[in-house]
Parts: sequence; C-alpha cells; structure tokens
Amino acid sequence: MELISLITLVILIVAGGICIGGGVHFIPVGGAPAAMSTATGVGTGTAMLAAGAGLTGLITAASMTGQAWYLVALAGAVGAMLMMGITMLIANFVYIFGVGIVPASSKASIDPITKLDQDPYKTPGTEGHGVPTVCFVSGIIGALLGGAGGGLVYFAVDSFASASPVLSGVNATAAAGLAAIVSVGIFFINSVAASYNIGGTIEGFHDPKFKRIPKGILASAIMSLVAAIFVILMLGGI
Amino acid sequence: MDPITLGVVALMGAAATIAGAAEDLESDIGSQSNPNSQVQLAPQMGHLHRMINKAASGEPVSYGVWCGTAGAIAALAMSAVHIPVIAIAIGSTVAAFVHAIYTVTSHLGRIVGQSQFEQPLFMDVLTQSLGPIAAHGFIASFGIVGMSYLMTLPLDGLGHPFPLPLLAMLWGITIGAIGSSTGDVHYGSESEYQKFEYGGGTPVAIQGDIVTKAPTGAKNSIDVGNFCAKYGGPLTGFCFGLIVFVSFWITLVFGTVPGQIVGIVIIVLLILGNMYLEKFARTKFGPYEE
Repeated sequence: MELISLITLVILIVAGGICIGGGVHFIPVGGAPAAMSTATGVGTGTAMLAAGAGLTGLITAASMTGQAWYLVALAGAVGAMLMMGITMLIANFVYIFGVGIVPASSKASIDPITKLDQDPYKTPGTEGHGVPTVCFVSGIIGALLGGAGGGLVYFAVDSFASASPVLSGVNATAAAGLAAIVSVGIFFINSVAASYNIGGTIEGFHDPKFKRIPKGILASAIMSLVAAIFVILMLGGI
Repeated sequence: MDPITLGVVALMGAAATIAGAAEDLESDIGSQSNPNSQVQLAPQMGHLHRMINKAASGEPVSYGVWCGTAGAIAALAMSAVHIPVIAIAIGSTVAAFVHAIYTVTSHLGRIVGQSQFEQPLFMDVLTQSLGPIAAHGFIASFGIVGMSYLMTLPLDGLGHPFPLPLLAMLWGITIGAIGSSTGDVHYGSESEYQKFEYGGGTPVAIQGDIVTKAPTGAKNSIDVGNFCAKYGGPLTGFCFGLIVFVSFWITLVFGTVPGQIVGIVIIVLLILGNMYLEKFARTKFGPYEE
C-alpha cells in the first residue's frame, strides 16, 4: 500500500470520528426523564439515538459503495437526517396527541428560531417536554454530522480493505462487511465518549452543556486516530 | 425505475411497519425501555406491582442481538432449506427462544433485587407475559430479517453489499432506538401515570407513583400492551416503515444524486411540519396557569 493511501485513510477516519463525536452533542436527548415527559428531548439515551441515526446513515451510505467519497458521505448524512427527522416528528405526535402536552424547552425561555416563549407551556414540576423547533433543528444538524462521519469512515475502510492483500481472493462482500463492522465500532466509540462528555441529557446547541464540545472533539480525534492505527494493522498496511 | 424493485421497496416498508409496531408493544409489555425506571422505583415508593421488569439491557442493543441472531441463523438455514421464508422463520424462532431466556433471567434478577422493598416475585406474571413477549419479539425479528433479506436481492437499485446478519443487526439497533424514542413515551408518560389528569408531563414529585390497579384487579404488563396498541405501537410501526421506505424510495425513483436532493427537501418539509405541529399544539392546549 502506498503512503498516501495510508495518510488518506487516517485523515478520513479521524475526520469521520470528529464529525460523529461532534454531531452527538447536537442531538436532543432527554433520556429516561424525557420518556416520562419530565425533560425536553427525545426519550432515549444519547449514544443509542445517535447510533440509530448513524447506522441508518451507514446503510444508505453503503448503498453508494463504489461512488466518490463525497457521495457516500452525502448519502449517509441524508439517511441519518431522515431517520432523525421522522423519529422526532413522530415522537412529537406521541407527546402532543398521546400525552396532551406542548413541546417546550427548559434551556431557552424563548425559542431562538421561532421566537416563541417556552416557560408558560412547561408542565409545573418538570424541566420541559417534547421536541421544540430549536431542538428539532439541532437534532437534524447532529444527524447530518453523524451520518456523514459514518459514511466517511465506511468509505475509507471499504476502499482500503478492497485493496488490502489480507483480503485478496475474498469476495467484495467481505470487504464491505469488515468496513461496516469497523464503522459501527468507531461510531459507538465516539458516540459513547461524547455521551460521557455530555453527562446525561442535552437539548442541543442552545444548551449550556454544548460548550463542552471542544473537549469532546479533541477526545474523538485522539480515539479515532488510535482506531485508525488498529485498522491499518488489521489490514496489513505496514 | 424498475416497478418490481419499487414493489419490493414497498414490501420492505410494510415489513418494517409490522416489525416496528411489534417491537414497541413487546418493549411495553416487557417494560424494557426508559419508562422501566419507574417500575424499578415504584417499590421504593411503597407501590408494589405486578409488572415485568427486564431492562437489564438497552432496547437498541438487545434488539441488535436478537435480530442479528435471527439473521445469522436464517443465513445458515438458507443454505440448507433453500426457501427464504422458512429459513427466516427458523432464525426468528431461535431468536425468540434467546429472547425468552433473557426475559426470565433479567426479570428474576431485577425483581429479586427489589426484595429489600418487599416486592414479591409473582411467577404467574412471568408465565403469562412470556408468551406475548416472545411472540411479539418473533414478529419483530421476522419483519426485520425479512426486510433485510429483500434489501440484499440482486435487483436494480437494491442488492445491498452488507451480509444478511449484519444488516439485520444494524436495523435491529435502529428499530430499538426508534421504539425507545417514540412509542415508549406513550407507555412512560401515559400508561404508567393514567390515574393523573391527561394533558401534562410527569412532575418529579409523583415519580414512582405508577398505576398498579386495573378496572378489575391488579394492573399487569398485558394491560400495558392493550393500552399502547391503541396509539404508541402503531405510530412506532408507521415511523420505522416510513424511514425504511423513504430512504430507498428517493434514490430508486429520482436517481443517485437527485435522490439526495429530494431527501434534503423532505428533511426541510419535516422541520416545517414540526413547526406547524408545535404551533397547533400551543393554540389547541394553551399555556399552563400559574
């Protein structure tokens, strides 16, 4: 393998990891409290929702196998954004018609996008509920980054594995499968680390916890670099 | 655009819809998702219950395991029986057994852990709920693996490069995340707190005070399934079906690059739709009184 392809592989994996780790910080997750309509956001865990969106993006990105890197990343981003957008919209249908509540943020007294006031619509004794517009847009941005990052990692590892002497003589499905497993691994490493950085719940880019993102990105870059070295060793690159 | 491929994508959407609804109802009956925190908390607050409590693992990861298991066994069985639908049924049956074993061990473990709060272990609760849990899990696994198999068919626009077990595992994780995010809110915010007035979130002060009585006798996990089957379950199925269908429909009908642009247009429409929905709710319900 040529040195340039090794450098490209490392750059794409680190860039993908940074996108994933950074993207998770945008996704509005309220965890268990949100499932009881006690906190704003989607009612599940940070890493799990990010993984759900990212893996949908990975499946749509892999449909573009053989295309240019930017098309693979774009397909990943669109797939992840569709999953996140539809999930948040349907979640709001449950909150509004199933529970009878209005989406309301607790971290912003006025929604920075719609300029609607939030506090009067919060159930007393709760920290908001549902997915208001600012959280929805933040979630879409997070899915865009996560899906594109997953697509980049998949493209890098698939391209590298297809040319690897370790997999020579094996059919193309093996390279795609290996690339998928590595991508899922790197996705989980970065999303779990980001969820530790967030420390529970986050509403999106307007949440004070969002300021922790520089540390999260640095951690993602370091972890992805280590993962990239393991990928190179695994595929017999040195 | 190949009409046969479009039909297959529609079939994938239908399989995903059924799988999504079954997954959500299973996680409601088994109390596997985030609302289980209240089932866990209830005995500490003095509310003994007859609910299944098996959230020893997160819903996405556990569904990844069950669907991955079903997909792996189905892929193996296909080389032996050569009839995909039977091979998928064999795989899903094995996954249902794994699911049942997990349910028994995790429920026993969690309930025994609550014995310090005098929460009894009701064996009849476990035996009556085990069938519905394994059956709903079977339907979910069958739908996911069936849909994943359709994705791998060598048709124009399909023919996904991932092997069947991997696809099934990835979709399993995704459906777990979707079910946990959408339908389970109906269980956690409404079914568990049905005795409180409709039209409000759950204040921290009443957490753990879950409904333990039914119209006749004690409330059990089957009652939760009956309740959530009326709204949360079908909506989860609709959500997952829509995601699977739209993800493939855009590239199939409009082509590789234009399909992505159409996808972005749909995402913008989703944002606008959510804004409209939020404003509708504010007008309909109004603010809370001080």
